[in-house]
Amino acid sequence: MPIPEPQDGVHDSQLLKGVLSLALMRLLAERESYGYELVTRLHELGLTEVQDGSVYPALGRLERDGHVTSRLVASTSGAARKYYRLSAPGYAALARIERAWQSLVRALEPILAKPVPAKPKEALP
Amino acid sequence: MNEGALSKKDRMRIELAVRKIDWELDGRIPRARRRQILNELRSNLIEAAQHTGGEQAVRQLGDLKALANSYRELYRGRFDIRAGAFWAFIAYVAIQLLGFALFFAFQAGVAAGGAHGASYSFEPWPGFGPFAGKVSASGNTFEVLLGSPAHLLIVCVAFAIGSTYRSVLAHRRA
Repeated sequence: MPIPEPQDGVHDSQLLKGVLSLALMRLLAERESYGYELVTRLHELGLTEVQDGSVYPALGRLERDGHVTSRLVASTSGAARKYYRLSAPGYAALARIERAWQSLVRALEPILAKPVPAKPKEALP
Repeated sequence: MNEGALSKKDRMRIELAVRKIDWELDGRIPRARRRQILNELRSNLIEAAQHTGGEQAVRQLGDLKALANSYRELYRGRFDIRAGAFWAFIAYVAIQLLGFALFFAFQAGVAAGGAHGASYSFEPWPGFGPFAGKVSASGNTFEVLLGSPAHLLIVCVAFAIGSTYRSVLAHRRA
């Protein structure tokens, strides 16, 4: 499968999917938010490719796994908003996932820091 | 800005998107959970529509079927009534096709045997089904069993297996 050409401000959707939970938990650690607000916060961070349709089930997954709790708050827009906040197990999970992420970045950095050769070396006989 | 500020068209767009997802989830995840999902979705869509317009708000959800599938994966109930009904229907059609195949074989046998007068019937398990039929000696008129205790039993088993096998497999995988 051809790998899409990377462009400035464009992120690979599969990569984004992998780190979406981490990003949501990190944002919820900062403050309680509801679905659409989290989408806009992600967009403001430059993750404009993140679709609402991937954020809402991701929040449901976090809630099912006990990483976030939710409460309904009446809103001026009519329907009640569902606010999410990070739970105690969620904070522990966030710390663990952040460590794993940092470790992954550290492991990849030396590889990515090397310039890509024009042609891979031949295997030794 | 409040909901009243949304145009009728935008409100209809939002409701249509919510109903599409409801249709995909109907009978597949528990009713109370489904209502929670739809309420949250509607609330977020209204909020989004106030900033970007109804069309963009719905577009930003992405593929509605994919979104419904995500919810189904997440909140799958013990029973998938729609899948159960599908497999029950398939089981019934399969029984009838097999019944017709057996019947036509029987009819051909009657014709080949040089039948004369009256009518001929076959019923391997009398009173239980699912296969039974009657053919006149001329082959012009025939009867085939469309419903029997065996039909009911097989259809019920197919429904039970069809409506639960996904949750059983998911449970085993977990």
